[in-house]
This record gives sequence, structure tokens and C-alpha cells, in this order.
Amino acid sequence: MKALAEIRGSGGRFAGLTRAVVALVLLCLATLSSLAEQRFPPPDFVETNHQIPATATPGARALWLQYGDIVVLAAALGVALWLIYRRRSRPGLVWLSLFSMAYFGFYRNGCICSIGSLQNVSLALADPSYSISWTALAFFVLPLAVALFSGRAFCAGVCPHGALQDLLLLKPLKVPAWLEHGLGILPFVYLGIGVLLAATGSLFVICEYDPFIPIFRLSGRAVMVGAGAGFVLLSVFVGRPYCRFLCPYGALLKLGAIVAKGRVRVTPDTCTQCRLCEHSCPFGAMREPESPPVTPAALAGGRRRLALALVLVPVLILAGAGLGSRLANRASLLNPTVALAARLSREAAAPVPTGPLSPDDFALARARENPRALTADATAAQRRFAIGTPLFGGWLGLVVGAKLLSLALHRRRSDYEPDRGSCFGCARCFEFCPNELVRRGLTPAAALPALPTPRT
Amino acid sequence: MNPPIPQFPRSRRQFLRDGARAAALTGLGGLFALTAERAGGRPRVWQIDPQKCVRCGNCATHCVLEQSAVKCVHAHAICGYCQLCTGYFEPEPNELNTAAENCLCPTAAIKRTYVEDPYYEYSIDEGLCIGCAKCVEGCNRFGNGSLFLQVRHDRCLNCNECAISKACPVDAFQRIPADHPYLLKTMAHGA
Amino acid sequence: MKPSNRLTRRQFLRRGALGSGWVAVAGAALTASRGRGRAAAADANPFAYDLGNAAHTDPKLIHYETAAAFASGVGDARRLAFGPGDRLHVAGKTAITILDLRGAKLQEIPLAAPARCVAVGPDGMIYAGLRDHVEVFDASGRKLASWESPGKKVWLSGLAVGEKGIFAADAGNRVVLRYDPAGKVTARIGERNKQRNVPGLIVPSPYLDVALGPDGLLRVNNPGRHCIDIYTPDGDLELSWGKPTAAIEGFCGCCNPIAIEVLPDGRHLTCEKGLPRVKVYSATGQFDCVVAGPESFPENAKTGSISDKSDGVLGGLDAAVDSQGRICTLDLVTGRVAVMKAKAKV
Repeated sequence: MKALAEIRGSGGRFAGLTRAVVALVLLCLATLSSLAEQRFPPPDFVETNHQIPATATPGARALWLQYGDIVVLAAALGVALWLIYRRRSRPGLVWLSLFSMAYFGFYRNGCICSIGSLQNVSLALADPSYSISWTALAFFVLPLAVALFSGRAFCAGVCPHGALQDLLLLKPLKVPAWLEHGLGILPFVYLGIGVLLAATGSLFVICEYDPFIPIFRLSGRAVMVGAGAGFVLLSVFVGRPYCRFLCPYGALLKLGAIVAKGRVRVTPDTCTQCRLCEHSCPFGAMREPESPPVTPAALAGGRRRLALALVLVPVLILAGAGLGSRLANRASLLNPTVALAARLSREAAAPVPTGPLSPDDFALARARENPRALTADATAAQRRFAIGTPLFGGWLGLVVGAKLLSLALHRRRSDYEPDRGSCFGCARCFEFCPNELVRRGLTPAAALPALPTPRT
Repeated sequence: MNPPIPQFPRSRRQFLRDGARAAALTGLGGLFALTAERAGGRPRVWQIDPQKCVRCGNCATHCVLEQSAVKCVHAHAICGYCQLCTGYFEPEPNELNTAAENCLCPTAAIKRTYVEDPYYEYSIDEGLCIGCAKCVEGCNRFGNGSLFLQVRHDRCLNCNECAISKACPVDAFQRIPADHPYLLKTMAHGA
Repeated sequence: MKPSNRLTRRQFLRRGALGSGWVAVAGAALTASRGRGRAAAADANPFAYDLGNAAHTDPKLIHYETAAAFASGVGDARRLAFGPGDRLHVAGKTAITILDLRGAKLQEIPLAAPARCVAVGPDGMIYAGLRDHVEVFDASGRKLASWESPGKKVWLSGLAVGEKGIFAADAGNRVVLRYDPAGKVTARIGERNKQRNVPGLIVPSPYLDVALGPDGLLRVNNPGRHCIDIYTPDGDLELSWGKPTAAIEGFCGCCNPIAIEVLPDGRHLTCEKGLPRVKVYSATGQFDCVVAGPESFPENAKTGSISDKSDGVLGGLDAAVDSQGRICTLDLVTGRVAVMKAKAKV
């Protein structure tokens, strides 16, 4: 009967007939097989000769379709790269975003997505018995690999969450710098939480609290649908709120993009410092030209800040690790096995309830059947948390320290250009540059002032 | 067309960046290799082990879909074809007919068809079934246990983390290979 | 001079604290909603299967009390039978165990395959029903014969020994076979036969039992029709009594009773599954009293309880009665035997 599942998955005109024939053959074989002998025989329908029907087994999504998703992802990434770097076309990216939202969002219901795949990878690394699918792995690796070479092309037009937020952005407001910096830590915090909870086998928190999946799925818990609606409304006024301030995979992409080989440039050739693009980025990613401080006092002040930040980093890491290890036991209660074991020890003396049992009663009854195995599992989980929470705390310290360090460092920038890590490659800033307009043939070259010699 | 890289004395920064990128690529490659070692096999789908299920009712309420992807499934070969089916009728029906007061199923998803005296065939209309396991409970308590819950893969979205599996009090959900996505019962009250 | 984008340390800390506060509030709200959702779901099952009052027995109806309780002494015990001298025979997975009424093991007859039923003749001959055939042993445990299997789909689940022969209840073929002492099938009782006005045995699960009364008539349970059929040893249907109801005076569920015995005074003893109960009925089928209700079999009453039985049999009960009228009940789930004696009349 198990072969039926594969056969039913395929299509074709004569599939129905083929299926029926195979089903009949298999039914005959099954009745003759030894399995039927061990089973108590069903009644004999002597009058009507009624045939006992087989159980239908509609198959799961075909394997080639799963691999097709990887192909579509790779193709979409390629198209995004081409649109950002070659064509430099915002309308093209809008079309790509619409396609990604339709395919990865509404057709695939947003699952499996690259954001969630980092949890699968964390769990696969921590737990040798967990089997990860090639699709999850590909969804994790491909956008990161692209980011290491060419920046956040994934965010530009491939990620359905990003596409949804980007397409809804109608009246962007500027987020004040302090808020931007403060909230900019959150994706890294969320990344740490997601990895910790996934690697300890507790839960996939990123999946559970994804606000856009209920929109793609068109159903979900009331709280999450509300949150999704809230994010959608926010996206109208604040550019890409989830991407900038929450997305844990975006944190990884940001790190990758910072060290990337290629980067997005506003101007197709030399920047003329005309400052027309200065406020063009709705996501606060545009950076102004900067030079290091020249006065000795400012230089000394800057060096002092840098030294303080450098010293703070290891201090924060150690403090975070210490704090994390203190919280290990409390955090481990997020693991359902640990929570059940704790409940068992709390309610060990409680009487067995009579009448219809609630799911909680069933859980406790099952726990009572084999308390030793449950306690062993819970202890193993707590041990994983004992390793994980100090690492998470140290990571938090590193994140805060790195943020302070980045605030203390001076960049040398000669042109107006987007920040490597924060730029989503949305191609909005291109059309602000007069040189770009010349390249597109919208402005005659003669209308521009003469290009200065390139700055050294 | 990208501008030429400025001849700024940023070679140190560039060197650091290249080094970091190389390290990141190596790391990513290593991660991929390590995980790929554990990858493979078919993609997995969620399924209920009918031996572990306790019919708690969470399958009907916790699926992310409005109508749960978990449905009751009937292994007809195990069924006794009883006239008074305890998976179809309430424990004490007034009469053996299709009146709602006598029937167990809250959505009338289980259909009763006369075969011959005194045998009746019971089948599930999956469009109506909500996966509440009331009939499964009745069948397993008094009968042969031919009714059981299964995740139907023409409806299930195969979420990364199944919401029902998290709510299941007895851990009856497993991830099994997608090419054999069902754990059907072949024997009364047994596997 | 462009306004500086930089913050003073104090500003950063203050605004950071404010921001963290907001994040904490949001996180708390989310966690609270998650907790509340989970608690609401864990509280109750809106689709619970409710048996109502049927699971409780009115104590006034219970006329027996437990005199002794002990383990059956063999794995996967299925049936009980009394032999001469009121020795208790238990059919199990590996052997027929013979116990006294205090639970002490007197003898053990090893078997090659699991025994599903057992019966003892007045001469001490022990008949063990393996799945598809009967094996005969003498009182000392020596194997005398292994009878031929009557055919395909045989599933022996009950045995009774009488003057007219040895009666084997074949649940698989929905028939009671009458054997002569040599092991030859001489009659098929209970098969559907319009001419003889026999409606036939409806057996949805492997619980067919047969018992002989002091009047020489065969009692066979007909679980699908919720009644006890009374046949002559030749196969004529004399009487049929019983009604389907979860209330105490009938047979609950879809296929009950699962075991039938006859007390020395002609009253009937029945066992049911689903709501595990052992009851006594009069010779004509009027409800008399309860020997033990579902409260006496808590593990058995749990749905889907232990299925280490390889043939997919749900729990169930069996009962046997000795020459003194003492009733022994066997719980198939726990493997425990309880000796019940009638309460002193108040």
C-alpha cells in the first residue's frame, strides 16, 4: 500500500486508471500476504460480495518540486543581482519583488524560508540525529554566499517578507539615528535567541513569531495575525521594519555584506558631491562623506573612545556569559521536555483525575508512566542549556560591544554611498543621481556641470 | 557601469575585508559540509503515530490552517462493520439513525452505508472532518480501533515546526520520509 | 556646519533604556499571549468523549466482594477455566498455568504457541485452544494429541467440555465447532442458516465464547447482536436474550458480551469490554446483579491501554465459576486474577 502514495503523487491522463489497476493488484496481494493472516479476519459479505475499500493515501509534495524551489531561489538571486548591478533598474526589482511575494510568499505559504532555515541548520549542527532537508540547507547557504560577494541581493527582491514590506512603503518616515542604532542590535539578539532555542531542540521561535506568515497562509493565531497587520501598517510609514530591526537572517546577511567584494554605488561613475541623493534612502542606509578628525583634541578624544570601546568588548562578553549561565535554568523551562519534567515533580502527589481528561492531564499521565526516561531527557536538555546560555550571553555582550566599537570608529568616505551592511539594494537611490539620469538618457550630458577630477 | 576603485590608501582595510570574506566563505563552506553530512534522505513530513495518540482533541484546534490538516482515517479491513458503531453513535443513542442527537461526530463527517444485514460501512468525508478524534475515541474504547487520526498531505503545509506537534501531550508526531508519509494501522489496536 | 549625528553618552544610555523598556513590554505582551493561549488549550478538550454515568456502578447492585487477588502467573493470560478440585487453569502466552484459589502455582504445562482459551473436562483432560487448533493434555500435563486445524481463518477464542463433545468457539469463522473426543468436527453450530432459523453469529472482534449449562444447552455470546444465544448441542437455536445499552442491565458498546459462563444454579455470568463489567443474569436473561464494575478494573477501563499483544487484541476480561459458585475474574490488561465471593445478604 505504501507504493500507492508515490503513484498517487504523479499526474497524467491515465493516472487514474493506472492507480486503480495498481490498487486492485496490491489489494489482492495484500489479502494473500501473511499480514492478513495475523489480523482478525473482517466479516464475510456473502450476500452482496462487498469489497472492502483501501485507505486513501494522498501523497506529499513531490520531490522535484522541492528541488524546483531551490532552482527558483537561485534564479531569483541571479535576476536580482543583474537588476541591481547591470540594469540598475528599480521597476525591474519591483516586478521581481512581486514575483517573489507570489511564489515564495503566497504559493509556498512562506515556508520553508531562509530566515527560518538558520534554525534548521543550528539544530542539525547541535543534534546529529536531526535530518535536515537539502532545501533548508540551500535556502540558508545561497543568499549568504551571494551576500558575501555582492551584498544583500536576497533582501532586494527575493525574500517574500522584504518584498511585502518594500512594496507597501508609501510614505517613508526618517527613523532618528539613536533609535536606528539602538534597534539595530535587535536582529543580532533575535539571532542569538533563535539559534539557542533551535540548537537545544526547544522550539523554532522565529517560525512561531513570524508576523508575515499568517498573511501568506491567510490563517493563523489571532495574536500573530494582529501582529502581521501591525507590521503591514508600520511598513507603510517605516521602511522595512522587520528587515531592519528584527530579521535574524538579515543580521547574518549584514555581516556578510560588510565584507562583501561588490557593493552598491549610487552613481554609475564618479560622485560629483551634488548631494541630491543625500536623503534618498528610505531605510536610513545612506552615508555621507567623512574624514578623520583633524584637530589634536578631537583625535585624542576619538582615540580615547576607541580604546574604551576596545576594552569594553571583552568585559561585556564575559559579563554576558556570566549572566547567561545564571539564567540557564530559567531559560531551560522553554524546552517542553524540561517544562513537563518540572510539572511532574511539582504535581507528583496530585490525584489522578477522573472523567474526560484534558490534554494537560494526558501529558502528566504519560509523564507518570515513565518518569525516569522523562527526567533523563530533561537533564540532557538542561545540560544543553547550560552550555548554550553562557554562549548566548557572551554573544549579547559581543553584539553590544561591537555596536559601541562601531560608534567609536571613524570611517573614511569620500562619496555619498550606502552603508554596506544596511543597504538592501532596492535601487531607489539610483534615480536621484544626475549621472544615472544621464546614463539612462533622461538628461543630456551637457546639462550637468563639468565633472571635477576624481578625488584622491 | 561601476566606477574604478579609488586609489585611496585603504589597502589595510581592503586586506582586512578580503581576509574576513575568505574566512566567512571558509566558514560557510565548512558549515555546509558539516550539515550536508547530516542532510540527505528524503525531505520529511509530519505524521501522527496512531499507537501513541490519546485523542486529546488538540489536532482540531492547533493546526495553523482554519480547517485542520489532520483528518480521521478508516482502515476498513480492521473494522467490524457493526450496526451499532461506537465511533459513529453516541454511547447511548436513542435510535440507530442519522439524527444529530445520536451521532458522535460534531460535523457529521462520518457516513454510514448499509451493506448487508447487519453490516454497515463507515467512511469519512474529509471535507467535513475537523480531526477532533471523538470517533477515534469511541472506536478505540469499545471497538477494533479501525478509526485513527492521520495528517493528510494534500492539505498539510509541512511547516518547519508543526504547531500541533508542539501541543501534542504525548509526542505522537514524528517526521517521516515524504515518500512514505503515512503511519497506517494494519491491525486492530496494534500496528 | 551640519548638525552632528553623534549622541552624547548620556543621551545614548537614556534612549537605550527607553528603547529596551519598550522592547521588554512588547516581549512580555507576546509571552503572555502565548501563555494564555496555551493554558486555554490545555484546560479542556471540547471534543471529549463523555460516557456520563455509565462508568459508575450503583454500589447497591454489586453483590460480590473480592476474597483474594493475585497475578495469573503467565504472560498474556487470556482465559480462565476451572478443573476438577476447583483448580484454576489459565491460558497464557507460553503455558497453561494451574493455580489454587490463593494464587499458588500448582502446575505449568508449557506450550509451543500462545493459548487463547482453555477448558477442562470432568475427567481432568485439559484442552488448550491455540490460535488455529486444539491441543489435548492429561491431568499430569502430558500432551496427548494435537487436533487438526479446521481450516482457514480459524481463530479459537473459547472452549467448553460437555457430554456431547468438546465445543470450540471459532471467532474467525463465526462458528462453534463440536469435536468428538478423537478430534473430529461433528457439528458446526451458530452458522447462519435460514432453514434452521439461525440468524448467525456476528463477531467483529476475536471474542467468541462458549459455555455449557447444567441443562446441557450451549450458551454462545453473539457480540454483534448484543445477546446470548442458547443452542442445543446439535445447533438448534432455543433462545436469545440481551439488549444493547450502556446502562447496567444491557451490553454496552458495539460488540459485547465477550465472555459467557453458567453458574451452578443456571444463572448466566457475562463479561464486557470497553466498560469492563462482570454481571450475573438469571437463567432467562433478566439482569440480576453486578460482580465487578469498571471501578474494579481501572487500567482496563483506560482507552487504548496496553497493546503488547501481538494479535491486536484490546484488553478485555474473562471470568470462570467453580463448583462452589465462587467467581474468578481475569483482567487481560493487568494479568491479575480476582476471586469474588458473594456478599452476605443484608
